[in-house]
Amino acid sequence: MKKVLSFLRSMKFGMILLVLVIACSFAGSMIVQQRDAMEYVRRYGEDAAQLILALGLDDVFSAPYFIVLMAALCLNLILCSIVRLPRTMRAKKALISRAETAKTDTPLDEGQAGKLCAFFEKRHYSRYKAGDRIIYFKNSIGFYGSFITHFSFLLILLVGAAAVMTADVRDQTVMPGETLELEGGISIRVDSFQIVDETGLLDYASTLTVSDDIGKTVTREIRVNEPLSFEGYKIYQQTYGTAGAVRIKNLETGVSEDMKLTEACFLTLDGVSGMFYQALYPGYVTDSDGSVTLITSTSGAYTDPVYDIVSVSGGAMTPVLAFPDETLTIGNVSFTMLDPVSYPGLRIKHMNPLVLGLLYATFVLMVAGLYLCFFAAPLAVAADDDGYVILSPKTQTGLMIELEALLKEE
Amino acid sequence: MEILFFAAIVAYFAATMLQSVGAMMDRNKLTRAARAIFIAGFALHTAFTAWRGFAAGRLPLANQFEFASGFSWSAAIMGIVLYARLKQNWVMTVSMPVAFLVLSYAAFQPMEIKELMPALRSTWFALHIGSATFSYASFAIAGGLGARYLAMLKKGHADSETAMKQTDYMTYRLICLGFLLLTVVILSGAIWAEQAWSRWWSWDPKETWALITWILYAIYLHQRMRMKWQGKRMAWFAVIAVVCVLFTFAGVNKLLPGLHSYAV
Ligand code: HEM
Repeated sequence: MKKVLSFLRSMKFGMILLVLVIACSFAGSMIVQQRDAMEYVRRYGEDAAQLILALGLDDVFSAPYFIVLMAALCLNLILCSIVRLPRTMRAKKALISRAETAKTDTPLDEGQAGKLCAFFEKRHYSRYKAGDRIIYFKNSIGFYGSFITHFSFLLILLVGAAAVMTADVRDQTVMPGETLELEGGISIRVDSFQIVDETGLLDYASTLTVSDDIGKTVTREIRVNEPLSFEGYKIYQQTYGTAGAVRIKNLETGVSEDMKLTEACFLTLDGVSGMFYQALYPGYVTDSDGSVTLITSTSGAYTDPVYDIVSVSGGAMTPVLAFPDETLTIGNVSFTMLDPVSYPGLRIKHMNPLVLGLLYATFVLMVAGLYLCFFAAPLAVAADDDGYVILSPKTQTGLMIELEALLKEE
Repeated sequence: MEILFFAAIVAYFAATMLQSVGAMMDRNKLTRAARAIFIAGFALHTAFTAWRGFAAGRLPLANQFEFASGFSWSAAIMGIVLYARLKQNWVMTVSMPVAFLVLSYAAFQPMEIKELMPALRSTWFALHIGSATFSYASFAIAGGLGARYLAMLKKGHADSETAMKQTDYMTYRLICLGFLLLTVVILSGAIWAEQAWSRWWSWDPKETWALITWILYAIYLHQRMRMKWQGKRMAWFAVIAVVCVLFTFAGVNKLLPGLHSYAV
């Protein structure tokens, strides 16, 4: 049992786990992820596809073995951190007592002790006397560097998982002018949506008015990189779409109504004749021979929109291409095609601000831990009349060479 | 103004050649000339980068050309600063070819100035990409130092045990710096991705390869500590790990498109 425990908390086990994470990440980046089985057969052939699916390599990062691997890494980090903290404390004390007694290993000539003293003073080492030797000391906080690094890595994994699992995310399309009600009395109104085309680079922006039930209101434009934060909600400009629009008028009663067309549909009053809406195209090009080709790419602005519709009247079906402002009269009903309407797809995320703050704090902690590990390693130099010795948990080749050069200087 | 860029490449090339010959033949005059040319090349490179930043009205790090140029610039300035501190010729022998080779790679990338994509317009842009150039430069120079260590070992440089120790140590220190910066790259990238796309991490190929690189260097740091590995093995490690860095830097964009594919 003891042996198992000591393996589970060992650095060796940690390194094995890290190699396995690399192997999974490699597979996950080389093999396309989360596609359907046929896609794998098409890309890699039947045998390879079978293997990929059997090993779960089509979705490595959600596969049970990857989750187990991450859990094992957390366990390893917890165990080794628990063991290491008291050891770190002891090491701190041990370094000082070692400095008081350790044998010097580099001789000092007469007069060189002063040089050494000046050098360490310039570098802001603290200094104290222990018997006939002087101990120069620096960076005792550096002892905690690797503990902080490992602990913060553990926290990033745990708090990151908590942040993802506790976030409530939903995607919603909202037409300009419409309002979306959220629980807790918060409402999001899309005032307007625009696609700005900067020579091929498309920027999508929505102007939102968000308010709560006690009268707090914020109006702001959102776009990529600029979500709106409001009372724990974050609202992102995620996607967009373009819908056709039509004004339908009953010529007998004079009643008319505007409708948005987001998918193929049959618009009719009597169930027999009417307009069948198929699609909306963003534009068209006229070839040299006068023939027209529709642009089918739906990304970007709809510069010359064309409606693809079918007029259904008395059993006859006539395909028609119509432009905005054109009117089609079928029986007693007129259909006037209007300018298309672009609308945003919003992503609305609700997150516990405490979890978010904690996550960012762990990020800062990790950078601080690494800084302490690498650039603030604890260091003691004990010097007496005969010589000096450098003591540190880290290799100090740099200081060693620097001191040698210093003492060689005339 | 592209002339500045090509002049910098020529200067880096000339400096690399002179430095190699000077170091091989132990001629101080040659290495001194190499350093002067390299610094002149660096000044041209800096002027080009500044001009490009002004012309584009943003930080010139937005596509593969600019990023490669930034990578080379970081390697050059790191070489110059390290030399100023250590006064060791071999620092230059290694940094010069890194700066030259990466800038030559940049020369093969599309150079025209493009408007910044909306997804890149963020306050995190400078921190994320700026740290990446310095991180890659640290790893690349560390790899170069690893190669130098191996070459010294082969030649049996028994005369300079200190030089070998110093090379080994500098390799380690540069990897420490690169690792710290790569951590900043990954964490700032996560914050940025959450601002832009609402998710901290998407296992996009570029992210995944940055993580692979990060873990690989974490293993380097641990092996050095756990097994007290130093010298030859660690030098090999540093050299081989650079392949991973280069794949993350360039290979992913060409071979594994994803969210970061605008960096092509
Ligand atoms: C990817 C995750 C990890 C990172 C980023 C990391 C980072 C580090 C760093 C930066 C150091 C200091 C190295 C140096 O100063 O040269 C270190 C030391 C160490 N690491 Fe890790 N580590 C990770 C995972 C692990 C795991 C899984 C273990 C397993 C037990 C572990 C055990 C240790 C130990 C025992 C030390 C020596 C600490 C000391 O004596 O101060 N690490 N680690």
